[in-house]
Amino acid sequence: MRSSLIRQILILAALALAPGVGEAIYFRDKISWQSSIPPSELVTVDQARTWGDNAIWVDARPDEEFARDHVPGALSLNEDRWNELLPQFLAAWSPGKKVVVYCSSLSCNASREVARRLRKEAQLPDVFMLEGGWEAWLKKNR
Amino acid sequence: MKTPIVAFALSIIFSLSAHAELKWEQTALELHPTPADKQAIGHFKYQNAGKTPVHFKSVHASCGCTTAQTQKDEVPPGGSGEITATFNIGDRTGTQVKTVTVETDEAPNSKTVLTLKTIIPQQLEINPTFVFWKQGDKPDPKTITVKVGKDFTVKHIKVTSSSPDFQAKVEEKGNGEFKIDVQPQETKNLVASTLTIQPEDSQKVFYATARITNSPVVQ
Repeated sequence: MRSSLIRQILILAALALAPGVGEAIYFRDKISWQSSIPPSELVTVDQARTWGDNAIWVDARPDEEFARDHVPGALSLNEDRWNELLPQFLAAWSPGKKVVVYCSSLSCNASREVARRLRKEAQLPDVFMLEGGWEAWLKKNR
Repeated sequence: MKTPIVAFALSIIFSLSAHAELKWEQTALELHPTPADKQAIGHFKYQNAGKTPVHFKSVHASCGCTTAQTQKDEVPPGGSGEITATFNIGDRTGTQVKTVTVETDEAPNSKTVLTLKTIIPQQLEINPTFVFWKQGDKPDPKTITVKVGKDFTVKHIKVTSSSPDFQAKVEEKGNGEFKIDVQPQETKNLVASTLTIQPEDSQKVFYATARITNSPVVQ
């Protein structure tokens, strides 16, 4: 009786696990939004503000949202027009400057992708993502 | 303990699935656009298998780069249709996963997340895309490596510098790999150049940037 119960529990556990295993196999090439962001790559609004002119603010949101409003002095750099916008950003960058990338909110993924490409493709150091994005900046400033 | 737990659990699963009315053909799609494509479009087909109409309350994409459209607001019993998700590729690279959240008035499964996975083919992988010299540095050449993507064949590439302040020389390393040596004429002035990298027999153009920068900021 007891072995039958254990067997049934194991079968149920295996059934419950199956969808998770299937998803892990399907998304095996590690989509960026699935893994957590290391704390060393994040910066808060207060921290970033202490960097003053030593920081370049990068707006990773689509053009329309940037046109509507953005952090004063921020440069637009999104993946819709990456090839066109990157040289403009690089013209403002110089060694020693910190880069603060933001998108709409905590849940958006654009700043993560832009920061990743700046680090990996352009090989820039000191690239950070703004915790809470544009929404967090608005809360602190308006 | 005569009640078979498995049978009980399965009956709950089946009763729940029988209650759900909108049946999706697929809730995850994988798209493989060509290098020339500007958009990747996924069609998520559904059918109302229930006995009452289903109404769409909202359809929301996970990013501004994706739009989603319903054909109709109400799906009658037995009716079918699709949600079209359009992902604007822009200058994105690699594997992109975007989601569309669909909310209906059916209970208890009123929310469905549709997943659109787009594998963007990468003809050339350029590393790094930015080389720089600090003002006053020795104007030694710096190397940019170009690797041809696994599904492509490129025998030659052409590299053009937008400014005469920088020279770019291409060396073919074989096995789909190229080396571009970039060298400034001098590093006294703050100048920059866009390097245009074009594979032969291809309309697609890739870019890298070379610059003379300010000296590091003193903190």
